Amino acid sequence: MFEALQYFSISWVSPELMFLTALGTFLGIYVGAIPGLSVTMAVSILISFTFSWDVNSALCLMVGVYMGGVYGGSRTAILLNIPGAPSAIATALDGYPLAQQGKAGEAIGLSTVMSVIGGFVGIIVLAVAAPHVSDFALTFQPRDYLLLGLLGILLVGSLSGGNMAKGLFAGAFGILIGTVGLDPLTAEERFTYGVVELWSGINPIAVMIGLFGITEALSQLHHMDKVAVKQRIDRLIPKWGDVKKYLPLSLRSSAIGVGVGSLPGVGGDIAALMAYDQAKRSTKNPEVEFGKGAKEGLVAPESANNAAVGGAYIPMLTLGIPGDAVTAVFIGALFIHGLNPGPMLMIERPEMFWFTVGNLTLANIFVLIFGLTGIRLFSKIVECPKGILIPVIFLLSIVGAYSINNSIADVWWMLGFGMLGYFFKMYGVPVGPIILGVILSRLIDDNWRRAIMSERGDLSNFFINMISSPLSATLLLAIILILLSQTPIWKKVFKPKNT
Amino acid sequence: MKKTIISAIAAIAFSSAALADYPTKDIQGIIQWGAGGSTDTVMRAITPHVEKELGKSIILSNRTGGVGVIATRFVESRRADGYTLLLGAENPQMYKVLGLADIDYNDMIPVNIIARGTPIFVAHNDAPFNTMTEFVEYAKANPGKVRTGSTGAGGLTSIVLAMLDSQVKVDLTTIPYDGDGPALTALQGGTIDIMPAVLGAAIEHIRAGRLKAIGLVDVEANDLLPGVAPIVDEIPGFSSYLPWGPFFGVFVKNGTPDSVVETLTNAYSKGAEHPDFVDLINGRGFTMMNISGDEARQFLDSYRSVSSWLVHDAGFSKNSPEEFGIPRPNN
Amino acid sequence: MTGISTRMPGEVVFSFVLVILSLVIFWQAYSISGFSSISSPGSLPLAASAIMVMSACFSFVKTLKKPLENHTLFFTHVLPPIVSIILAFILIYSVVLEKLGFIVSTFTFLVISIQFLYRKHFLITLGLALISLITVYVVFRLIFQVILPEGIVPEREIIAAIRNLFS
Repeated sequence: MFEALQYFSISWVSPELMFLTALGTFLGIYVGAIPGLSVTMAVSILISFTFSWDVNSALCLMVGVYMGGVYGGSRTAILLNIPGAPSAIATALDGYPLAQQGKAGEAIGLSTVMSVIGGFVGIIVLAVAAPHVSDFALTFQPRDYLLLGLLGILLVGSLSGGNMAKGLFAGAFGILIGTVGLDPLTAEERFTYGVVELWSGINPIAVMIGLFGITEALSQLHHMDKVAVKQRIDRLIPKWGDVKKYLPLSLRSSAIGVGVGSLPGVGGDIAALMAYDQAKRSTKNPEVEFGKGAKEGLVAPESANNAAVGGAYIPMLTLGIPGDAVTAVFIGALFIHGLNPGPMLMIERPEMFWFTVGNLTLANIFVLIFGLTGIRLFSKIVECPKGILIPVIFLLSIVGAYSINNSIADVWWMLGFGMLGYFFKMYGVPVGPIILGVILSRLIDDNWRRAIMSERGDLSNFFINMISSPLSATLLLAIILILLSQTPIWKKVFKPKNT
Repeated sequence: MKKTIISAIAAIAFSSAALADYPTKDIQGIIQWGAGGSTDTVMRAITPHVEKELGKSIILSNRTGGVGVIATRFVESRRADGYTLLLGAENPQMYKVLGLADIDYNDMIPVNIIARGTPIFVAHNDAPFNTMTEFVEYAKANPGKVRTGSTGAGGLTSIVLAMLDSQVKVDLTTIPYDGDGPALTALQGGTIDIMPAVLGAAIEHIRAGRLKAIGLVDVEANDLLPGVAPIVDEIPGFSSYLPWGPFFGVFVKNGTPDSVVETLTNAYSKGAEHPDFVDLINGRGFTMMNISGDEARQFLDSYRSVSSWLVHDAGFSKNSPEEFGIPRPNN
Repeated sequence: MTGISTRMPGEVVFSFVLVILSLVIFWQAYSISGFSSISSPGSLPLAASAIMVMSACFSFVKTLKKPLENHTLFFTHVLPPIVSIILAFILIYSVVLEKLGFIVSTFTFLVISIQFLYRKHFLITLGLALISLITVYVVFRLIFQVILPEGIVPEREIIAAIRNLFS
């Protein structure tokens, strides 16, 4: 125990390591905020940059970037409606409306505090239960991933703004976009028409930048004569009462974040969307409607995506299995520094585990510090004249899309979806379900087929196993309950008690 | 206007010097696979040592997708001046027979084949077999019961399973994954029972006792895994294909000036000798190769002919290897 | 935009296009692997496009029933000239981006679009464009080493030359 504490505090007692963590977190916030620059990319670059460094110093910088980057995605989501990363998509849904009401500062302040709470929940679970959680995560079978994906797709209901038919259309359209390219399982071409550039599919980030950034900027052109809303900057740090009020929701969302984050191959983006859905269902009487600036809609995804950081570290540190794309790069970094990340790491080098836990904690504290400073300046961005802001948004979207894979094709997709999104928006088709579909498409497609193939195409076996496995049965029950709760009969029986 | 004049002058000034003492500017390194994968790790680990030799930076970027076709085609579309390197894995050697592209490494200049991996059959701990012989017997007694992973046609698992299929007929249920990382995870979770994977990806899990090694697909045992018999002891027929394994290499476009290739070759072979890098390669269970020139070409040819014919005989090729003049491996 | 009981100009055409689009996609999804097996590569695309066809038809019928919104015109309320012009700017910009290179095309795009939308003195526009360009270039190209299209400006040579001056 004493040893653990000693390892935990390595980066706390060394001014150099502390400075590097702070620097990493600061850089991370900007990497996260700029669309197209991803944390994965930044950490990869840092591998070369910190090559000759001592492993602790290198890790401090990288861990800082990771923690800061996941938080940073919310910045541009709130200010410009361009999520800096897919994990901030849900944040844009209510964060941007808040900024448009002159509450950008308040939204950033709240998202910072909630991110930090989420971050801590993730770290605590990592510290106390990592081996158990990762063993549990490994028991997820293809059918469970499939059910998880279906649970996620139910969010279409929340995102379609009352027009279910159009929402369904958009969600299905998104799923189809996600299937474009060489089928990852059989390498069969789907919707590629012999175009090699399409083989790797349409990049979800390009779709996201287009549907959010370009669509919004184009619609803003309708209101050029309207002066930007004056931002209120009197209440930046959320009141204690507010934090207390949202704490239960934040903790629930964080639990979703750690859980989903710890599953290999499922990351903070899905966790944040599921947390948003959960918030919408569990909040009985929101002060403001969801999608129009509900603070609950900000609290849930922000807690969840930062909690997913700790979650993603769970399988990585205990088993050497990456929880998401960033931890995959961390595994590479450990190799390059002469360590052997795998199930033996915790036994042979226990200091790495506690050092990382300590370092994440430190980085999370820096997120709080850097997140709450400079809000005033950032909220001014929204007040910037539209004549300047809109061209800059276009520029950022184009450069961001290009940077994803150094490819002009991504720019075309981004613009294409931006224009499409504009017409969709004009004619009342919600664009949220499209991006939801894109993100969940692979999860559902791959695991549906894996589940069926592992039963050799025998559907009855597939259903028997689904009911006989406690995990699958629980997930299935959750889906059924959510579906039932939307039917008129359910509402008649249960709603009157509340209103 | 001024800008174009300055740039024009700069272009002339530098292009005349370009050939004289390569490299005069930063080099672009295109990694075929995504961040965090083994190709990415190996390339990012060797690059700093090579940069030291070259005296210029190599800016790395991952251009993923289409089983590496996109990166390969990109490098082919650049000028043959040695300023764009392809940092890739074995996949292009199968492009022609799988009908993915009309180029492969034989149409490029190998700068260095850095290292080679060894395939190994690994199984879930509760699987009712411990050796290749037991596995084959069990699979024959329970057709369709044993589930294996696959990482796509032309991937390592498909080729090793094709080798197995050429020796013994077993009926396995195949579940596809998009890479050996996810497949090994599924193996630990019990979704699949057995699969061939590259040793480097499986070794830590074997050491920790979370997976068991069934058979090393090589002609001799490996120092990292004492006690695991090479597969030729149990299924001798494998020896006609071995040693065989996925590899990592650095390539430039055909037509790159010899002096440039030489500079790069020297830099990479020195870089690959760096003790830190050698440790990394050995520690991950890869076999250091560090070969170039004709030796590299021979290795590439042999890999292509073994794999192409295996895939063709197993019936999942789109084109016959004969169409491209790929000779049958001489057994 | 929810709960509107009137339709926008062009909405009927739009909904109809969606129906056609869905049908084409359904047909394309069918051609991937037909109805061969429920775990084929085409199974999810087929299911998703079937949902698209159904919901598109439903929306189309509903749109037909709605009366047209009064006093709205396609080219003032849906696609006003300002949107078309800006769209044209962006499209031209992204077409010339690779040919001319990032620096030249971006600078031109920023100057023209800021001048068009902001309508202040030309020197202010020039300054704003320059600041944005330099910031983006430093962040993306120099710090994060994204190789932006070089086009006609030999950036790598210039950077190497500058570095040589200092070393």
